[in-house]
Formats: sequence, structure tokens, C-alpha cells
Amino acid sequence: MSGENEAGAVGQSIPRLEVREKTTGRAQYIADMSSPGMLHGAILQSPYAHARILSYDVSEALAMPGVVDVLTGDDLGDGRMGAFIKDEHAIAKHKVRYVGEPVAAVAAETETIARRAVRLIQIEYEELAAVLTPDEGLANDAPIIHEHLDDYIKVFPAVCGGNLVSRTELSQGDLDKGFAEADFIVEGTYETPAQAHLAIEPCGALAEMDASGRVTLWSANQSVFRVQANVCESLGLPMSKLRSLTPRIGGGFGNKMEAHVQPIVVALAMRTGRPVKLILSREEDFECVRARHPMRVRCKTGVRNDGTLVARDVEVLLDCGAYGDDSPGVLGYSLLMARGPYNIPNVRSVGRLVYTNKMRFGAFRGFGSPKVNFAGETQIDEIAEHLDMDPIDLRLKNIVATGDTWMGGSVLASCGLRECIDAAREASNWDQRDLPQTPGKRRGMGVACAAHISGLLGTGAIVRVLEDGSVALNTGAVDIGQGSDTVLTQMCAEALQVPVDGVSVASPDTDGSPYNWGTTASRVTYTTGRAVVGAAAEVERQLRDHAAEMMECSQEDLELRPGGLIGIKGVPGKQVSFHEISLRAHWRAGGPIVGHHTWVFDQPTIDPKRAVAHGLPFPQIGVYSFAAFVVEVEVDEASGKADVTRAWMAVDVGRAINPGSVEGQMEGGFVQGMGFALTEEMVWDDARLINPSLLDYKVPTTLDTPHELHTIIIEAAEPDGPFGAKGVGEIGLVPVPAAIANAITDACNIRLTTLPMKPERVLNAMEQAAHGS
Amino acid sequence: MTEMVTLRVNGREHPCRAGIATTLLTVLRDQCELPGTKRGCNQGVCGACSVLVGGKPVRACLTLATDCEDREVTTIEGVGTPARPNAVQQALIDTGAVQCGFCTPGMVIAATALLEEHPDADIETIRQGLSSNLCRCSGYRKIVEAVSLAARRTAS
Amino acid sequence: MMTQTMIAPETLEDALAAMHAEPGSMALAGGATLVAMMNAGLVEPNSLVALRHVDTLRGTRQLDDGGIELGAMRRHRETALETPFKDGQTVLSYAASQIANPTVRNMGTLGGSIAFNDPGADYPAALVAANATILIVGATGTREVSAEAFFVDWYTTALEAGELVAGVRVPAALVGSIGHYEKLARIAGDFAVASVALQVTWSGDSIAAARIAIGGSGPTPLHLAEADDMLIGTGADSDALSKAGLLLAQAADPVDDVRASADYRRKVIPRLLAKAMREIAPAREAA
Ligand SMILES: Cc1cc2nc3c(=O)[nH]c(=O)nc-3n(C[C@H](O)[C@H](O)[C@H](O)COP(=O)(O)OP(=O)(O)OC[C@H]3O[C@@H](n4cnc5c(N)ncnc54)[C@H](O)[C@@H]3O)c2cc1C
Ligand code: FES
Ligand code: FES
Repeated sequence: MSGENEAGAVGQSIPRLEVREKTTGRAQYIADMSSPGMLHGAILQSPYAHARILSYDVSEALAMPGVVDVLTGDDLGDGRMGAFIKDEHAIAKHKVRYVGEPVAAVAAETETIARRAVRLIQIEYEELAAVLTPDEGLANDAPIIHEHLDDYIKVFPAVCGGNLVSRTELSQGDLDKGFAEADFIVEGTYETPAQAHLAIEPCGALAEMDASGRVTLWSANQSVFRVQANVCESLGLPMSKLRSLTPRIGGGFGNKMEAHVQPIVVALAMRTGRPVKLILSREEDFECVRARHPMRVRCKTGVRNDGTLVARDVEVLLDCGAYGDDSPGVLGYSLLMARGPYNIPNVRSVGRLVYTNKMRFGAFRGFGSPKVNFAGETQIDEIAEHLDMDPIDLRLKNIVATGDTWMGGSVLASCGLRECIDAAREASNWDQRDLPQTPGKRRGMGVACAAHISGLLGTGAIVRVLEDGSVALNTGAVDIGQGSDTVLTQMCAEALQVPVDGVSVASPDTDGSPYNWGTTASRVTYTTGRAVVGAAAEVERQLRDHAAEMMECSQEDLELRPGGLIGIKGVPGKQVSFHEISLRAHWRAGGPIVGHHTWVFDQPTIDPKRAVAHGLPFPQIGVYSFAAFVVEVEVDEASGKADVTRAWMAVDVGRAINPGSVEGQMEGGFVQGMGFALTEEMVWDDARLINPSLLDYKVPTTLDTPHELHTIIIEAAEPDGPFGAKGVGEIGLVPVPAAIANAITDACNIRLTTLPMKPERVLNAMEQAAHGS
Repeated sequence: MTEMVTLRVNGREHPCRAGIATTLLTVLRDQCELPGTKRGCNQGVCGACSVLVGGKPVRACLTLATDCEDREVTTIEGVGTPARPNAVQQALIDTGAVQCGFCTPGMVIAATALLEEHPDADIETIRQGLSSNLCRCSGYRKIVEAVSLAARRTAS
Repeated sequence: MMTQTMIAPETLEDALAAMHAEPGSMALAGGATLVAMMNAGLVEPNSLVALRHVDTLRGTRQLDDGGIELGAMRRHRETALETPFKDGQTVLSYAASQIANPTVRNMGTLGGSIAFNDPGADYPAALVAANATILIVGATGTREVSAEAFFVDWYTTALEAGELVAGVRVPAALVGSIGHYEKLARIAGDFAVASVALQVTWSGDSIAAARIAIGGSGPTPLHLAEADDMLIGTGADSDALSKAGLLLAQAADPVDDVRASADYRRKVIPRLLAKAMREIAPAREAA
């Protein structure tokens, strides 16, 4: 199928469908919404890291003019939510578990009143000893953060106890034998900090209850269905009583996937009987939504003198924060990615996830992979240096290819990694590089590779033909700004050979959209795309049935023609339009045309013949995109500050449905990864986050970002992908810290194992290197 | 404790109520029905609230409403419409530079002011000029390219 | 609660009277710091005196002796781009052009910045390097304080209650002197981790005069005449630079904060000084 004859079909960089409303300020985000009679909510946050709640006194707050309701944990039942472990109430109940945790909420006539009123709530606490690091949490005499962990509902075979939330282990081959065969072994410990997602839109929600007691909820989210599940679980509501919808979303990088304030807002709306809106301040958003896990990775890699990688042993320790959230998944996924895109026969990766009295950590672009990638990919460079091999050649010697298996044993149906490496190598002029030298600066180049999944969990699509032949697409996938509405529409248009503006796309609605687990894990293009293609095929079948009857010919003689037509092959003038067919279907025969397709990703993560897994949170996961990045950095000798000056990002996306959007994902992912690599870190003083503001937590600006960001698209089509497509949402971030670290090594002959590689760390290492030599 | 102030926004008079601590951002969003100007931090850092006051870009979150009475305010709603986008908006559309769009109103304001002052801005000038505004989605390159395209189009 | 008011006087006298009339009232300049603090609930002034309409605070005045007076309400943008600084006075335009970002530079003012005295701010060190004088007005008249004496402690200046910064006088710099401001920040537009402001005059191959101030590394800008002297007569060789730099680093009083550790700040001071000297080499050749 080719899209050449239809404007906007697959392969074309058409503008976002909603771009005009966004550029002119007309797009509506959660904070822009209102409802008649609406109240405003505000939260009170815990001042303690770990404390028992002894009593509440809300009388003064309730007495304040304009205050309508005060909500505390005592007002709610014992419902708990959680993606993997149901360990979290809608609002703190009995205990608080981190500084900043919502412990009470107010609904009032104005936001100012609500914010003033929360300060009048008196809570008596009994402070408990706090656990601030995973190591502390694992100690024998550690205070226990969740006393009832054993009783909590878990959706996977969690190995847990005490403050250990889960322990997961994957292994294949024979590790001891592997290391025994190695001529050289590198070993290191790597530390990475908490990173804030910092979507520029802060989180918020608006809920209202109708006369029948049913609630409609709008919120900043990445999945209307996960929102529905979390609210209903935590408040003990049947799902039939809650409708979850979405306005435009101002960015989501994992932070809006699971619940934030939605359960609190729904509770307030149900109690007051009035619409309630609550938008977090930037500071609150920093303190109580979620962030990337602080992580420690021990990594050991063995290689033979000819450059063959023979063994890798990885052990990770993940700070879970106070609630499980997506963390078990992040742990499992990081272990699955720990081998990297290399055919290493003997591998073990094992990890522990530990509760601490910090904010919950959760999903963040890369889902654990950037940290193990940082460890693994810098070790590859260390090995190359030791063997005096070019780091790219060493990688090429070991990379996976189509038909090989991933860690765990799932087979790679497509793999364009070699093409990615070749392309990045050539575009960056890696082999003949002659980097400009400026006095006072040192330049270097580094490479790193990565892979990322596209396939997991359930999704669906419904495609309908309207009376006039227009097509209506409904998938339930939330477009968080990454462009899925556009890409899914392009696929639908391509499949039915209609122009993009002949297809409408519905906003996700739990009442009317088919289930979609969420806009996360780089999965929408691949999984939902497949659903769209399946639903469109069903529509095409129905259209053909009608056309065959209308033109009195056999099915085989028919062909889909551009512009919403079905014609008889070889007879140019002989055709019927979707319009004519749809009128017939609506009014005379067969019924309105509706096609749907739903499916769940069912390729096993583990092939038991090849690998062993314990405590794995996702039994079915797969379909890999690949990338090879080359970056150039310049390090200031005076300060140790490293800047990225150029980058080449070759990425195998199977098929670029919208190449411009692929570039956008790669560039945005790169810069977020660069922030993680060089400047960003959330810092706690004891239990208190000390930089929960944009003045103190710094993300890159235009001036910190290279303008030379080159995306090179490689298309190794995935056989069952929609038009061959695979995901691209996260892979732009994953190899960035490692590539930058390798470039800094090239420039300064130092090797950093802790992120961020801020000036202080670089300078100290440079000084040590100078003294050592 | 609130007083009436009349703001002139996008050429129209808006009578509003404002206390001493009420920012222009709050009034625009909550009283003038102009929610296109976004709040990303309320601390002057992100730039999502950028508007023009007297033709120059400022942070609406750091500007007090009562301090604006004699000044002409231009918001995103006043610089172009979906049917008639201005040069910057059109270039952002054509370049595919918009992702979630939350930073976009502020970017459009900053870029429009920049091109007003430097109609022939080169890439470096644009990078400088847009450094007031954070975008977490795009990595900036396409936004910078878009503004450069707008400059070139306006010149020719 | 008292009535909360915003007063917008047109003369300095009226502004001072308004400040006096309502104890606890605060001057509002660009608002870039004050309103941010109000938004965060850190200050709740019951009265604000907006200085925007006081014309006399907005201009610049060139003095016969080559000095320049800058009004307190000069925006950073104007100081960076529209002020006829000469010779080493340009340390101020370099500093101003590196404050925050273009939009904030279009809001923030000289007076507001120095009255607040954020230790990471850029003007304080530059004003000390330029040997500037702060012009202060109060109910009882005017007074002048050297920049070095004006910055007293963390977020504290020589301003008394009810006084306002009227402006700054920047004396003529030596003919042929070079001004430079070297700022180290985590990312563009952030407050300084540390900075070096300087005025240097070369005579042939050696330094004839130098004035160096360090920013971001303690409660107030750091200036040591002894360090200046160490450079005079030298060719700014690495030996001389590191001696002067170390002296400054030892005298600095930085703290650990989210931007950097105190140790690091001490470590980079000599390095930034050396870098600043390297950066001005082209200007020196041109001079
Ligand atoms: C995002 C951001 C980044 C920034 N980055 C930097 C940076 O990199 N470097 C830097 O130096 N600064 C930076 N700043 C601060 C900026 O320069 C501020 O503008 C400045 O500190 C305050 O100036 P203002 O005119 O806005 O003062 P205002 O906020 O109006 O006032 C500040 C204080 O000074 C008082 N005041 C104002 N004028 C006078 C006067 N004439 N006499 C006496 N008291 C007065 C006020 O009452 C108030 O207490 C940044 C600010 C922001 C928002
Ligand atoms: S909301 Fe004003 S700068 Fe962020
Ligand atoms: S497009 Fe999302 S913040 Fe810029």
C-alpha cells in the first residue's frame, strides 16, 4: 500500500490535527476547564516523612467563609489502588509516609479560600522513624512502612516482605562458566538520581456528579482507563459509576499515567454534590506526583580478547518511595534491558525494589532502562578501550539481529540496529572525525546503543462509516502531546484510502471508547495502530459486501480506490462511494457500518527453554525498536561543565508513519535525557525535597541544547506492526546518558559512574586524572 | 480588599476585580476569559504565561494586575486566530514544532516579540530570544527552525 | 487586616512619602522577585509603592568626568544594550546581559536587583568591580554608599527602612581598561554558581590596574585589594593568576546549596579568574 495519492497518509509528515488550536491558545487543558457552580480544591501536605495520624481538627477550616468541605482519610473507606500492588489510599489514612503526601483536602468557593483553609486544618501526628534509602529499608531493624504489605492485593507473583516491595530475577546461560571464559572483566557501580518529569502542565482534575450519583471526571492523564481504575479502586466505586474523560494534555512522561489528585477530587465532588476542580501548584506537583527512581546498578561484564561478550551480571537496587505505583514494572523492565542489544549468552540480572519514606517513584520515559543502559553502555566502552578496539566495532561484533532472541528468549522479528550503527557512524563522520579544538575546551565523541519495547497489554479500536461516507475513529488512546491522534488517523486514512481530513478522531472516553491500557511504554503506535488497522479491515470487509451487492459482482473483482470509493478492478468508471454504501447500510440493508478490533499483546517475555524468571511483573512483552546515538561534547576546562554540541540519532522505528513526529520524539527525548545526564536531580535534605521549584530544579533551555540534533530514520519493518511500525516514544532518551558519558571520557579521559555529570563531578575527576598521571 | 481595574487586553476593555496580590495571569485566565496564557510555575521561570505589555514580552505571573491599568496587554488570543495565524504560528504549524502545546502560547509571544525587534534573526539570535521559555517536549530544535522560517518568510 | 493598596506615585518625593505613610509597604520595581515571593506566600505586603511612574528613576545621565548615573528603574535589558558604557564600565553591560533571560531582563530592574541582594545575582559583583556608588534616598535626604559597603550580608543591604535605591553612579574607568563578567551557571539563565567581575588595564605586556570581584560565593561580593595587587605588574601568567585566585578562594565564604557545593565554588574561583583573563585577550589585542 502506498500513500502517495492521498494527502496525509502513512509516511507523510503532516502537521498535528490539533495544531491550529494549540498555536493560537485555543486548546483546552484541565486548568482551562470550568463548570457552573464549581468549587476549587486544595490539598494539605504532610510535614512528616513517617508518622501516625492521631487526630484531625477541621473545625476552623470548615468555619472559614467560603469553605464547603474538608476531606481527610477518616472520611474514606479502606480502598486501595496501585498498578502492581494495591497499597495506596486516595489520601493518607492512618499514616503519612512521605513529606508532601496529601493528608487532607478542602473544597471552597475560590482557590484562594481553599488554599488558605487547608492551613487551618490541625492534625496531630505521632512521628515515626523514617526510612530514607533502600539500604536503610533493608536493614534488619528498619521501621516498616507498610505493615500490611503481605495482605495487599498484588497482580503479579511479587516476592516481598518487610520494606522489600519486590525482588525480580532473570537469568539465562551459565554465569560462572561465562565469566570463567572471559579474558577480561569490567565491573562497576553506577548511581542515578531522581529526575522530575516536569511536564510544563502541572497535574489537575475536575469532577462532577450528576443527579443519579454518577461522576464525570476530567483530568490530566495518560490513560482515561487507568484513571478510572485507580479512582474506583481507591474509593470503592463500581466502574459503572465513573466516567473518565480527557482534555488536551500538556505533556506526560509517565507522571500522568497512574493517579495523582483524581481520587481526591472525585471524593470532594461526591461529598459536596458540586463540581470540584483542583490544579496542583508547580511545587506540589514536584512533591507529590511522582518522579524517576533513584537507582544503583552494579554491573559486571566479561569479554574474550577477540571482543566477544560472554557474560554479564547486573544487580539493581531501586528506591520505590512510599508507594508501589509502577515501580515493580520499572524494576522488571530494567532487568529485561540489562543485557543490552547484545548476544551475551550468560546473563543474570537481579533487582530489589524497596519502600522508603520519600515520594512515590514511578514510570518515566525509559522505564528503568536509561540507568542500566548507562551502566552497560559505558562498560562496553571500557572494554573497547582495554582491547584497543573501536567502540563501534566492538558493538557491531556483538549486536543482535533479526531472528536472534532478546534477553528472556523472545524472538526479534525485526532489528535494524546494524543499519542504525552504520548510519550514525557515517553521518557523524566517526571514523575520520577531526573535532574542532577551542582553547580552554576539550571535545570528544561518544556512542551508545539502545532498544525499547513497543508491545504490551490490551487495546482496541472502533472505526465507523458515517452517513456521508466520513470515517469516525475511536481508540481510547490519550494523545499526551506526542501525536498519536494524528498518527492513528493517518493509519486509518491509509487503510481505507481516504484523506486524513475525512477521518475524525474521538477524544478518549471510558463510556464510549474501547479499552486502552495507556499512552506509555512506547506502545500506542504499535499496539493501537494494529487495532486501528484491524478495525479498518473489518470496515473494508463490510463495505465490500455492500459494494458487491450494489454492483452485482463478486468480492474478488473489487478494489479500494482513493477518496472513499470501491470500484471494479480494471473498469475505471465502475465504482460506488462510501457515501452511497453508508446510506444503503443506514437506511436499507445490513445496518450502519462499524468495525472493531481489540487485542492484547500475548508474546511471552520468557521462553522457559532459554531463561528463568522469578517475580516478573509482565509475562507478555516484546517487539523492539533500536537506536544508535553518537554525540559530541565540549567540556569547559575551567569549570568542568559539559555541553553537548552535536548529536546524531539513528533509530529503527519499523516504519515512520509520520517522520516529522518521529524526529520530534527523538529530539525531545534527547534533550530530556541530556538534562538527566548533565544537570537534573531532585535533592533531599534528610526527608525534605529541597528543590521542588523551577528556580532550583533546572531543565535545559534553548541555549543549553544543541541545534545540531540529527535524526536518522531506519525502517526495519516489524512483520505484524501496523504498516511495519514500532514505537519511538522513549528510545530517544534511553542511550543519551551513556553516549554523553562516553563522549566525556573521549574528551577528558575520565569515567564517571554517577549522574548527573555535573561540572563538579567532571572537574573533580579531571583533577584526579591529572594528579594520577 | 479588591478593587476594580480596567485592563486593555487585545484592544478591548476588561473591567476586573483585583487585590494587591492578584497577578495579571490570574485575571486574564479567570476574569477576562482568556485562558490561552498558561500557568506552568507561577514563579517566572517557565515562560508559559508570557504576554506582551506595551509590546514587550513579560511574565504575566510576575505582573500585578493593578500595575497594568495604563498599559496595553496582548495575549496569545490577540496575535492570530486558527483561521488567520500569524507568521510565527503558521511556521510552527508547517514545521511540526508543536507537541503538547502547553508551552506554545508563550513561545509564540516570545517569538513574535523577537521578530518584531529582529526581523532578520538568525539561528543564534532565535536561540537567545527563546531562552526565556521552557519546552519539555520538543527539544527546541523544531521551534527554533520554525521561527527562523517565519523570519525568512516575512523578509521575502 | 489593613486595606491593601497599590500606590503609583509620579515623583520620588511622593514615593518616599507613601513608603513612610504605610509602615510595611514595599517598593515594587519590576516585580520579578517580589511578585514571585508573593505568589509563593513568602511575603504579604499590605501596601505596594510602584516605582514605574517615577520618571527620574528611569534614565541615565552622563557625567562630565566620564561617569554614568543609572536610575534604579533601569531594566536589565536597557543596562545590557542601551547604555553608553565606556572602557571597563562595560563589566556592567556584560553582567546585565547574562541575567536570567530576555523576558525577565525586560522586567527586572537595577534597583530591585541590588535592593534584594540575592547572593547569586549578577549586579553586585559587577558594581563592586566597577567601583560604583549606590545612590540612596530617604525621608531625611539622600546619601551615597560605595557598592562594596552597600552589600552587607545574605539578602541584606545598607538600605534602612523607608529608604529607596535611587540609582547607581558608575565612575569613569581607566582609559583603555577592559571590563568583563564571567558567569558560571548550571544552565543558561540560572543564578550564578560563581562569577568573576573585573576591570583590567594593560600597559604593554603587563597589568597596570585591576579590580576583581567574585560573585555567588558568599553573602556579598568579594573584593580584595591584595588580590588586585598581586596581578599588577604581571603579565597575567598562570602563576600570578593562580596566586590571586587562591587568595580570593580562601577568603570566599560560600555555602553548599542546590547549585553547587562550597568546595566546588572555592575550587572554580581561580579557574574562572583565569578563564576571564583568557576571554579578554582579544579585547586586549584590539585595545
Ligand atoms: C526566572 C528568573 C531568573 C532570574 N535570574 C537571575 C539571574 O540570573 N541573575 C540575577 O542577577 N537575577 C536574576 N533574577 C532576578 C531578577 O534580576 C530580578 O528582576 C531582580 O532581582 C529584582 O528586580 P525587580 O526590579 O524585579 O525587583 P522587584 O521584584 O520589584 O523587587 C525586589 C525587591 O527589591 C525591593 N525594591 C525594588 N526596587 C527598589 C528600590 N528602588 N529601592 C529599594 N528597594 C527596592 C522590593 O521592595 C523587593 O523587596 C531572576 C529572576 C527570575 C524571575
Ligand atoms: S507561569 Fe509564569 S513563568 Fe511560569
Ligand atoms: S510542546 Fe509540550 S512543553 Fe513544549
